[in-house]
Amino acid sequence: MDYKDYEVIVGLEVHAELSTESKIYCSCRNKFGVEVNTECCPICMGMPGTLPTLNQKVVEYAVKMGHALNCTIHNVCKQDRKNYFYPDLPKAYQISQFDIPLCEHGYLDVLVEEDGTVREKRIGITRIHIEEDAGKLLHDESFAGSLVDFNRCGVPLIEIVSEPDMRSSAEAKAYLETIKSVLQYLDISDCKMQEGSIRCDVNVSVRKKGETKFGTRCEMKNVNTFSGAMRAIDFEAQRQIAVLEQGGIIEQETRRWDDAKGESIPLRSKEDAQDYRYFPEPDLLTIVLDDAYVENLKRQIPELPNKKTARFMKEYGLTYGDALLLVESPEKSVLFEQAAASKKASPKGICNWILGDITRVMNETGKTIADTKLTPEKLAYLVECIESGKISNTSGKVVFEIILNEDKNIDEIIKEKNLAQISDASALNAIVEEVIKNNQKSIDDYRGGKTNALGFLVGQCMKASKGQGNPAKMKELLLEYIDKQ
Amino acid sequence: MEMEIDIKRLAKLARLKIDESRMAGFEKDMKGIVAMVEHLPEISDSGALIDPSAPMELREDVSESKYRRDELLKNAPQTQAGCVVVPRVVE
Amino acid sequence: MKLYEMTASELSGQLKEKKISARELTEAVFARIDETESDIGAYITLNRETALKQADAVDQKRAAGEPLSPLAGIPVGIKDNICTKGMLTTCASRMLENFVPPYNATVMDKLAADDIVITGKLNMDEFAMGSSTETSYFKQTKNPADLTRVPGGSSGGSAAAVAAGEAVLALGSDTGGSIRQPSSFCGVVGLKPTYGSVSRYGLVAFASSLDQIGPIGKSVRDVAMLYSAICGPDKMDATSVRKIYPDFTRSLGKGISGLKLGLPKEYFGLGIDSETKNAVLAAAKLFEQNGAVVKEVSLPSTDYALSAYYIIASAEASSNLARFDGVKYGYRTPQYENLTEMYEKTRSEGFGTEVKRRILLGTFVLSSGYYDAYYKRAKLLQKRIAAEFASAFADCDLLLTPTTPGTAFKLGENTDDPLKMYAGDICTVTVNIAGLPALSIPCGTDSKGLPVGMQLIGAKFSEEQLLNAADWYESAAGLRAE
Repeated sequence: MDYKDYEVIVGLEVHAELSTESKIYCSCRNKFGVEVNTECCPICMGMPGTLPTLNQKVVEYAVKMGHALNCTIHNVCKQDRKNYFYPDLPKAYQISQFDIPLCEHGYLDVLVEEDGTVREKRIGITRIHIEEDAGKLLHDESFAGSLVDFNRCGVPLIEIVSEPDMRSSAEAKAYLETIKSVLQYLDISDCKMQEGSIRCDVNVSVRKKGETKFGTRCEMKNVNTFSGAMRAIDFEAQRQIAVLEQGGIIEQETRRWDDAKGESIPLRSKEDAQDYRYFPEPDLLTIVLDDAYVENLKRQIPELPNKKTARFMKEYGLTYGDALLLVESPEKSVLFEQAAASKKASPKGICNWILGDITRVMNETGKTIADTKLTPEKLAYLVECIESGKISNTSGKVVFEIILNEDKNIDEIIKEKNLAQISDASALNAIVEEVIKNNQKSIDDYRGGKTNALGFLVGQCMKASKGQGNPAKMKELLLEYIDKQ
Repeated sequence: MEMEIDIKRLAKLARLKIDESRMAGFEKDMKGIVAMVEHLPEISDSGALIDPSAPMELREDVSESKYRRDELLKNAPQTQAGCVVVPRVVE
Repeated sequence: MKLYEMTASELSGQLKEKKISARELTEAVFARIDETESDIGAYITLNRETALKQADAVDQKRAAGEPLSPLAGIPVGIKDNICTKGMLTTCASRMLENFVPPYNATVMDKLAADDIVITGKLNMDEFAMGSSTETSYFKQTKNPADLTRVPGGSSGGSAAAVAAGEAVLALGSDTGGSIRQPSSFCGVVGLKPTYGSVSRYGLVAFASSLDQIGPIGKSVRDVAMLYSAICGPDKMDATSVRKIYPDFTRSLGKGISGLKLGLPKEYFGLGIDSETKNAVLAAAKLFEQNGAVVKEVSLPSTDYALSAYYIIASAEASSNLARFDGVKYGYRTPQYENLTEMYEKTRSEGFGTEVKRRILLGTFVLSSGYYDAYYKRAKLLQKRIAAEFASAFADCDLLLTPTTPGTAFKLGENTDDPLKMYAGDICTVTVNIAGLPALSIPCGTDSKGLPVGMQLIGAKFSEEQLLNAADWYESAAGLRAE
């Protein structure tokens, strides 16, 4: 068989937990990682007689996501009950949205890096709707039953359903990463994969290239990471192609992805498909949003990461990799743009500092940029000082450590710490001559073809200048001398 | 037109167990009720069931904790380690 | 006159004037309960000790000169599907035999704020599904007017308790007639308020879009008093209507001159007992003779209302009752091998036949392939019925109909025929479907001496007009000592 004859079709359903203060239908705290059954109440535990009340913030966040993904917002929409029995679903129905979701018919442009090139691809968004999360079942080997923790019941979710527009696992990964960064930019989800705040179901089908009809699709559940999604797509595509190549047909079914084993196993077939008996939630009235409110939320949408990455590449000449890393964090990209605005330091230089030392410090200390004393102006000036030769790169790091923690003027630090680089030949000549005098052997080595001997000599000059000599200048002087001799 | 009603399937969906001896009775009752429904007039309206004339007031996003775990689990048939216990389920 | 025979408004006056104490009154009501409860069987749970404490607290407040609500110290019984914190709330079901809610229904918080004395929890049809209180898991309530007959349902315990003097007032709930029909059968006054005017928070849901809590009392004024205490917007109930609710006792006594009263012809047709029909028409005559304009109107979709009602109510019930699964609260079967078996046995043993019947019907009308033909069609019909009422109210202020096709039937008479039982709801379900307020008030007795009730229906939020007209009738018909 030849995989190249086939095309993979992928559609994704992403569930993202929203980072609201309270739950979607009750006032319990929306908080992860607390003691079992301590963030619940009669409402989210589905006790008799209790009623849901919809959290305004959930609607706001979902509408923002709708705007970000270029959706039509349904100002008038409703919620529906999805009925099924499971111990983690206390009411035995999930309040969701069925035929009129809050947002519909959008798209997302993602940058796909494949085979060393970067291209933009538009992925259709079918719908975004709001719904409640279910609780958690805990299993313990020492115990025959399962334990139910209701803390997660009623945590607000948005479900983002894509069109079957992706044609490879790389496109799916780019889509998932872009969705995640958009959620982060809008500041509406924690996006902590390890806490399950983003989860996805993957729909995969395959067809012979040139076919216009879609093949039968299989849905994979339990995909918990983006790399897992890629593996699941690749596995499933190969499995389906193998079936077709052997003359078989693909059965529509739901499969469970086992990431540890790297395979999917059938969960239930179409025939066993649940009958969810959706109907309009009678405990809640119609959601009616006025136009001004919806428009106002649209104005609050910042430039989104996918667009920003493309712009950083074009406007600042950054590589895709660098641009992506900067844009990943709204804070870093803001720092970058504000520092680059000085126009005196190179964007690449600023980018390197942010992705290098600044990221290192943030990772090591867990601090955000706002937690430090660093300002865009100081960063720009620091890079400018280094690039102009005013201070060495080594001294730059000394300055950096200070301006992180203290609100001090860079010029003053340079003066105080005596970090200014000496570039004046007349001042450096004496040092160079002294080094030459004491290292005749290295000079001979250099002349004999050992080029790395020059590095040693520059090092000796740096040492003699107590780190203040401009290494480029001293190298120049060294070469002049060697040539002269 | 006599309509078939699959009581067994409905019972399964509703997680009810209907005794075989009771099955016929339920089916008869259901058919009577369905027949009553059958003469409903056709109403042409393809729209969704939604009433914009009754907009909902939304709740402010403020949290509060009012209940202790033991109060909430007091009515549970079986508990352990602060959780409700159910027969083992794996999916 | 014995204390338990008096109306809440009379007792309120005596309490205020300190002619009686809340303790005396509460003791009198419990003495009456001791005397008649073995015959009537109105209560599932009695709250005697707490009630006496509540009464003493009221007496102390009064002695201290604190301002008190007119209902302070009045003993009120609560239908057992309204959640009472720390007190059993069973819905007359084995499923909730031992359920003690850790929260109060909003109406209970309101009653507590008014220092009302709670006598206990009243019997009902299981999960409010029934018209005779015969589907209760615990006991059979009998009609105080004739102990061989049903008190009606589902709020049969509430109506019987008030009629028998085992409570001065009671709260019931009405999904398709469950306040009005037992009020009619027992000869008391019951109000089903406008949908959204009383919070449903803490009312164990039968059909969320139709359920409404309402008062039952011996007089229209009593009903107005209790309704004033329980109505109002509630942040815990998204369907509760945000508006200002007046003190409804102030709307009484305004007369009926110029009142336009409609008689919908469909409610006087086939299946309505002639004695009932005549009693209601006589009441219409009385209105007419005293300055009201009475005219015939038509609500053509009435014939379909019962079907639409059973579809909508059962659909919502099938979903609302799915939470009773033996996991978090309530009954759990003792023997099971796995989760599915636990669910099925728990629900089959915990629910009675009528509840199972409705869950099956509701599951059917919502299931894939039937939703459009049944549920959706019923919901569209609901719109049409509401529109027909709205146009009727363009021409009249109130509508007058029988509350039920006939008077109270014998115990066990209809239990084998659910369809016959359902047909008895024909006059009342339309009101729930349209979300309107309606009140049942006695309008005489039939040849067997059984109370006949008539129903006054108003436009949404017309309770002031409705109560005023009913109050006028009560007086004009000589139903109360002036």
